[in-house]
Amino acid sequence: MIRALPLVLVSVLLLTACSPRPPVYQEQLLTFGTLVDVTLWNVDEARGQQAVATLARDFDYMHDAWHAWHRGPLGRVNQLLPMGEWFSCPPSIVPLIRRSSELSRASGGLFNPAIGQLVRLWGFASDEPPKGPPPAPEAIRALLEKNPQMSDLELDGIQLRSRNPAVRLDFGAFAKGYAVDRAIEQLRELGIENAIVNAGGDLRAIGRHGERPWRVGIRHPRQPGMLAAVDIEGDESVFTSGDYERYFDYDGKRYQHIIDPRSGYPAEGLSSVTVFARQADVADAAATAITVAGPDVADWLPVARALGVTGVMLVDTAGRVQMTPSLRGRIYFDVEPKPEVRFSEPL
Amino acid sequence: MNRWLTRGDWLLLGAVALLLPGLYAVYWHGSGQGLEARVWVDGKPWARIDLFREQHLDVPGVLGVSHLEIGNGQVRFTDSPCQNRQCIHTGWLNEGGDVAACLPNRVSVQIMADDPRFDSINF
Repeated sequence: MIRALPLVLVSVLLLTACSPRPPVYQEQLLTFGTLVDVTLWNVDEARGQQAVATLARDFDYMHDAWHAWHRGPLGRVNQLLPMGEWFSCPPSIVPLIRRSSELSRASGGLFNPAIGQLVRLWGFASDEPPKGPPPAPEAIRALLEKNPQMSDLELDGIQLRSRNPAVRLDFGAFAKGYAVDRAIEQLRELGIENAIVNAGGDLRAIGRHGERPWRVGIRHPRQPGMLAAVDIEGDESVFTSGDYERYFDYDGKRYQHIIDPRSGYPAEGLSSVTVFARQADVADAAATAITVAGPDVADWLPVARALGVTGVMLVDTAGRVQMTPSLRGRIYFDVEPKPEVRFSEPL
Repeated sequence: MNRWLTRGDWLLLGAVALLLPGLYAVYWHGSGQGLEARVWVDGKPWARIDLFREQHLDVPGVLGVSHLEIGNGQVRFTDSPCQNRQCIHTGWLNEGGDVAACLPNRVSVQIMADDPRFDSINF
């Protein structure tokens, strides 16, 4: 008789009991011009698959409707805007115009989706980034003088016209956030209360991961691995804009894709901006507006306040970190030595 | 022979001692580091790869071949038929849940881990 058998069986059972098998459903989608990663907690596979299939259809539709340089509803709007006459705006574009106009006004024009012509002049209105050289200064000046603003648009129901023929819409700094918000809304309608929708590194999380908050890693802007970690629960968006995402190097200088609507040149001084806000569209627009505002706290803090974000972390091109006090104790650095952090005034 | 343990006990204990490393690997490696990665092509699973076996992998995407380098618990894109090279600029991935993709070629790779340190990664 084997006397040790019960002991061995109990040990094996204990080992298996400790095995981590969290009820997480995760799926990736190549859609919206990026990789969308959907993480659901406590949802069985059949329900998870069904939910993600619904999101995939929505993302594909939104991508086609809101793309700035592909043929589609927004492309048609951009063709008609310079005419200066009233026309019927595709209904899928109307809420984007309304919402982005509000955020543009709140940002003092630093987030300005009306500068589609400048983005195109720099060559960023393309699936592949430009190689340089930068455009001629006279061409940039000529577009700046026309001063396209969202406030040049008049919207009456679905009737739209532009008082300024230089307005071209490019929702590159906004559509992803708006789409993530729609995806979270859709998941809630499907009865899913614990989820993360991560579109190309920008995410909104709702609920929690069972007994603990969701854990989010923030990738280092200049080296492999993570810069920091943050816990999220309830409902929060985390968006990062970095000068490493879309850019070109020319003559030893980096030109990133975020254009400063005041100068007509790419924003400088920050290598990454991470924004926390409840809604993803706010976080997306704010990440762009704060990148444009630059590393001086006197410039970026008023923009963050006006847009109503809940937290900001900046890494400047010298690797120095600034943060709002709301993130104190929430951000855990994952690098050694830990960077010295300069805290701003409260939001 | 010990009067408390039979020959069967000794055989069983020997077998358990041999099995322990395997059981440990299966049930206790959830430290966040991934042991394997999954490769997707055009939204469909294409391969599961052992991150501790040094190898170079050619992945046929929709435009051409993406090249992956694997080893020492890490994976990275070393070549891809895209112009922006964003997949290559992402560099080495070694964190459970981390992901890199060549969107034009529709090839993506993600590190799998039972209990990753992060549920999602912001960049």
